[in-house]
Amino acid sequence: MTLPEILTPGRLLAGAVTAAAISLWLLLPRGRESGVARWLGILLGIAALAGLACAGRRLGGLGEEAVFLTVSLVAVVSGAATVLTRSPVYSAIWFAMCLLGVAGVLLVLGAQFLGVATIVVYAGAILVMFLFVLMLAQPAGLAPYDRVSNEPFLSAVTAAVLLGLLTLSIGRLSAEPAAPLAAEPAVTVAADPLAENHVARLGAELFGRHLVSVEAAGVLLLVALIGSIAVVSRSESAGLEDAR
Amino acid sequence: MVAATFFIFPMTSFLPSPSTIAALVKIGLLVGGLMTAAAYLVLVERWMAAWVQDRKGPNRVGIPLTKIKLFGLGQPLADGLKIILKEDFTPKHVDKVLYTAAPLVILAASLAIFAAIPFGSVMPPLKIAGLPDPVPFLVAPGLDVGVLWVFALSSIAVYGVLLGGWASNNKYGFLGGLRSSAQLVAYEIPLGLGLLGVVLAAGSLKLDVIMNAQAKSGTWYAFAQPLGFVVFLVASFAEAARLPFDLPEAEQELVGGYHTEYSGIKLLLFLVAEFLHMVTAAFLIVIMFLGGWHLWGVTGSSQEVTLLGAVLRFAVLSAKIFAVILFFMLVRWSWPRFRFDQLMNLAWKVMLPLGLANLVTVAAVEEFRSHLPGWVAIAIPWAVFFVGWIVSGLLTPSGTDNTPIRTRGPLDVERELSHDYAGAR
Repeated sequence: MTLPEILTPGRLLAGAVTAAAISLWLLLPRGRESGVARWLGILLGIAALAGLACAGRRLGGLGEEAVFLTVSLVAVVSGAATVLTRSPVYSAIWFAMCLLGVAGVLLVLGAQFLGVATIVVYAGAILVMFLFVLMLAQPAGLAPYDRVSNEPFLSAVTAAVLLGLLTLSIGRLSAEPAAPLAAEPAVTVAADPLAENHVARLGAELFGRHLVSVEAAGVLLLVALIGSIAVVSRSESAGLEDAR
Repeated sequence: MVAATFFIFPMTSFLPSPSTIAALVKIGLLVGGLMTAAAYLVLVERWMAAWVQDRKGPNRVGIPLTKIKLFGLGQPLADGLKIILKEDFTPKHVDKVLYTAAPLVILAASLAIFAAIPFGSVMPPLKIAGLPDPVPFLVAPGLDVGVLWVFALSSIAVYGVLLGGWASNNKYGFLGGLRSSAQLVAYEIPLGLGLLGVVLAAGSLKLDVIMNAQAKSGTWYAFAQPLGFVVFLVASFAEAARLPFDLPEAEQELVGGYHTEYSGIKLLLFLVAEFLHMVTAAFLIVIMFLGGWHLWGVTGSSQEVTLLGAVLRFAVLSAKIFAVILFFMLVRWSWPRFRFDQLMNLAWKVMLPLGLANLVTVAAVEEFRSHLPGWVAIAIPWAVFFVGWIVSGLLTPSGTDNTPIRTRGPLDVERELSHDYAGAR
């Protein structure tokens, strides 16, 4: 038996996911540091990424494979780094990198509006607020709850199981062609994702079929906005009363 | 053996196609042109400063080792060499990784913005196999979210400012970073409201489509939406951190800003990025409000162009952009700087309501456009513009109380919050 015959995509995926779990578990911050475990974790992580990339190549049909692999690598690595770093500010920066990677994946897949909106809303607005708070509250990042992760084993296993299940169900990676998952019709992709008026069509869909949900979300946000203004103004006027 | 294929990358897909090569050529032209333009615009800015202040300005550096002066055209090269060769000093107390990353982030973001910004109309048919004609003067013509792309990357530039301030590990630098990023975040809202009016009227987020719409109707959006134009203009001054919003430059009062601890080439990267923000703002103002490459009776308005037509449109667009940049520079030497609370009040209490008024007006006019005669569709936005001007003028206090809040009682502060403190003491 040759190497490619032993490494069926299913086994490859299982191996990669296991390696990813062990690597994540080794790398999660745990108060005391060990150089060997750290390097072992990094090596296993690289192996896991290579295995995932090989297994994931069966997804196919993505056209710009090199670009896709690059942006997805950025997303996965910085997603892992978000939970692995000890400094909260660095965590936030890695999370921003992860969002950029996800936005890149969305752009490659043709979901332009979603990709750019991810950057504007998450990276541009929400995360900047996080950074403001983190930088003002605790510049050094030395608190114990920043340096030690809760339940490293369980979280690593959960993440790995989720990753494996999602890859299996989305990529239909089962080796047997007769498997029920593979028999399902392929996900229909628009003929040309970069077709004209991508945003206009999306807008028509949102404000046509999903009008009620969009309006409900808008009203919810408005309620939250008014509520926060009410909270702030009450505490401010109370402060003025005290000063008098 | 079937399984073996997925270990091998398909090498043929890495060979560049003609459209990839065209994109690379455009990127090269754009980045080279922008960097050179930034260097020479600094010279123009210094000339402008000298002209306003009635002195001569840089006029001596010409060809080195000769006596040829060339009106000082060698000055940008000398400036660039000087700042690159300066010691790139990294203080001991900084967070090295983020300290190095911050200028790179801000420069990369401000260059990547130009992927969605057209710098001309279209090329005349080139007839190259595999390259669909006509070739647009735009790096990413397939990007349907052009305006949003610009918005997204300018919000990434905030990270450079914030991280530069934080990584410096210096109180003044950090406060400067917070101040600048709060300014950038606040003015993104009026900027977006100004953009939205144009997007509503043109019916597309693509900047080349917005230009074509203005060329087709012959009415630039500055005339159709005056209020939106003013809001966008003010907000883009603030986003580019130009005077009267250039708090990072206020060394005398505020010990500089987020780049206090930077020197050498890293400082250069920050300054170039800031300059590029101004160039981007000029591009956007011209493309969205001043008709882009369109000029009545000169450029025509159809999509078919000859070689002369393409050159002419490029020249018209460049001339307009240069004029707007000159306006930016003239404003810099004519206006005093805002205080930070005045700057925030302007964003939230003046520009935001005006932007909303503009958006509602444009939406109403666009909804009933087919029932309205042409002059009414122009007159309504102008009426709203003058009403907005008068109302914001009446509501603005005619004086500012500059005594520190500490020495005032809570009653005074309360009165100030309710806007009727002018002349009350």
